Amino acid sequence: MSLDFFIEALQRLLPGVPLTLTLAFLSTGIGAVFAFALAGMRLSGILPLDWLARGYVFVFRGTPLLVQIFIIYYGLSQFPEVRHSFAWPILREPFWCAIIALSLNTGAYASEVVRGGLLSVPQGQLEAARACGMSGLLLFRRIVLPLAIRQALPAYGTELILMVKATSLASIITLMEITGLAAKMISDTYRVIEVFVVAGAIYLVINFVLTRIILLAEHWLTPHLRARPDGVVLPSDALIGDRA
Amino acid sequence: MNQPGFFELMSFGPGGWGAAMLFGALMTLAVAVCGFAIGAVFGAVAALAKIAGNRLARIVADVYTTVLRGIPDLLVIYLFYFGGSSVLTAAGRLFGSEGFIGLPGFAAGALAIGVVSGAQHTEVFRGAYRAVQPGEIEAAVACGMRPLLRFRRIIAPLVLRHALPGLGNVWQIVLKESALVSVTGTVELLRQSQVGAGSTREPFYFYAAAGLLYLAITSISGFGFRRAEMHYRRGVARRPA
Amino acid sequence: MTGLPSTGTAAAVRLTDLHKRFGALEVLKGISLEAREGEVVSILGASGSGKSTMLRCINMLEVPTSGTVTVGGETIALVRGRNGESRPADRRQVDRIRSRVGMVFQSFNLWSHKTVLENVVEAPIHVQGRPKRECVEEALGLLEKVGIADKRDHYPAHLSGGQQQRAAIARALAQRPALMLFDEPTSALDPELVGEVLRVMRGLAEEGRTMLVVTHEMGFARDVSNRVVFLHQGLIEAEGAPDALFGGGGSERFQRFIAG
Repeated sequence: MSLDFFIEALQRLLPGVPLTLTLAFLSTGIGAVFAFALAGMRLSGILPLDWLARGYVFVFRGTPLLVQIFIIYYGLSQFPEVRHSFAWPILREPFWCAIIALSLNTGAYASEVVRGGLLSVPQGQLEAARACGMSGLLLFRRIVLPLAIRQALPAYGTELILMVKATSLASIITLMEITGLAAKMISDTYRVIEVFVVAGAIYLVINFVLTRIILLAEHWLTPHLRARPDGVVLPSDALIGDRA
Repeated sequence: MNQPGFFELMSFGPGGWGAAMLFGALMTLAVAVCGFAIGAVFGAVAALAKIAGNRLARIVADVYTTVLRGIPDLLVIYLFYFGGSSVLTAAGRLFGSEGFIGLPGFAAGALAIGVVSGAQHTEVFRGAYRAVQPGEIEAAVACGMRPLLRFRRIIAPLVLRHALPGLGNVWQIVLKESALVSVTGTVELLRQSQVGAGSTREPFYFYAAAGLLYLAITSISGFGFRRAEMHYRRGVARRPA
Repeated sequence: MTGLPSTGTAAAVRLTDLHKRFGALEVLKGISLEAREGEVVSILGASGSGKSTMLRCINMLEVPTSGTVTVGGETIALVRGRNGESRPADRRQVDRIRSRVGMVFQSFNLWSHKTVLENVVEAPIHVQGRPKRECVEEALGLLEKVGIADKRDHYPAHLSGGQQQRAAIARALAQRPALMLFDEPTSALDPELVGEVLRVMRGLAEEGRTMLVVTHEMGFARDVSNRVVFLHQGLIEAEGAPDALFGGGGSERFQRFIAG
């Protein structure tokens, strides 16, 4: 276990970080759109939409992500119609297939998080908003969404961490992110434990940093849950101006 | 040439892959059950360390759960599959064997999944222990139960009851995670589908069939867990209003 | 030692100069108390006076910092551990004594995963190793006695507080205890359920059982117990027959206490 080898491993694995992060952030972002759409369908009160969303969540949560990746990357190419369609340039690319599979997958899981957040908005606060004349999109944008996001943030943070871990499956369809590079290096050098330690450490650092950022975001977004320290300037102080 | 359709491919007759796929599903179940059981042992030990261990034991358990929560499971499977083989080969050399000794993919996979799910088991058990009313344990102490008897008769059954929903979740995760064991060449459901897809050039049908079988397994076992929960929640839950 | 004259009956429990300290807080500051066989002693005091701690020292749910506890003539041996905390010298001795002492808790503490009957037979079968048949028969009799025989197959969560506490009393009785400890047995109950539990306890007192009862129920202390002990800030401030104490004896603080 020489230091040189660790440095070499770092040099070979770190270039995978941008791809890992791109996969994680892009698919979490796209997945969030799916998640909101699905949560909206679930809460729409329109039965066919509700059942469609339920079925989607059931299928994507009930099957392994790797199977989903394989169906999209290998499976779809079975059909000549797909191979000759406009979408083929995208579906041919392992990168986009990974993005699609990861997004669809996280969308299913995150829709439950979003739904929980939306359901957590207290009825009384909705009534208060309606009572002062808000409705529809304004009500959603000004009251429901901010409250739901604050509520859902911790669980969504967990989902982001899970996505970072899930991106490792992209290596199985030839993408050279951190795990892909690590697997390559293991088969080149047979120094399994050292490579594992370095790759694992890189993931741990990424997830540690992300966890901190999420905690920070939570802190910013929930001033109402914190004790008010003496001498702190409240937002309303700025609104009202100097009271002296 | 006329391509065979989905049902033809998945039939049980000659040339059909139905039996092979079902066998793959059984293998998936075997990997998952072994991984889950190993994980339960790791989880029980780590939870015990976190609840009642000394400083060192607590630190070790904390590092274990933190590290495995942050590292991709695939990486852990690689570690056990490739690392296990090099450890075995090195050990073999000590005993005079010259050749390469491979750790079977099944063992490496089940072990890796066990270690990974052990971190989840740990949190489930710890949370369940916290949910046990201290008074119920105190009553056991007060009537003279020795620690082992107390654990067996009172603490373990109560912890298991509180842990059941969490264990159900971990089981679902383990089932899906077991698909990763296909990278070790173990012919479980996904690996069997890859084989079928390769030899018939109809990957969609095979992966779709795999997906359906996974869906069946997760739903049936999920249903089983919910039934068990309802059964064991008697008494632990408050009375229906 | 108490100042009471010995009547010739054996002491069921004797506490000598009991001290208990939690960190910097001294909860018991030297308690000496004796209960003879068949005696019912009510222990009164404001919250924080140390009455529950004293009771819990008897079966070593709390280990006294110093002093001795003697149950049924057997003194529990204590040693000082490496960290300066005292602990029982012999765990087996403690378990043996615990199996002869029944305890009833404020919050019932029935085992939620067992039915009422299973709760009652648990200790006799698994701690005392008595034959199952005999234990079940005896348990059914005890449930009859506390008036919840029809609830024997119910889970505790499905019973009212009063029924749960009566089940807990049956559970303690099933140990065939030489001594019963009651730690505020009615304090967690809705007022309308207090009576059914007190009736059962009164019945036990009339059978001549040895009982130590920490309670806020003045009626029970005055009418049922043979002796009342009043604790204040970790010391026994007043002690005597209920008639004497409630009749104007005892300390001024005790009179203020019972006046509420």
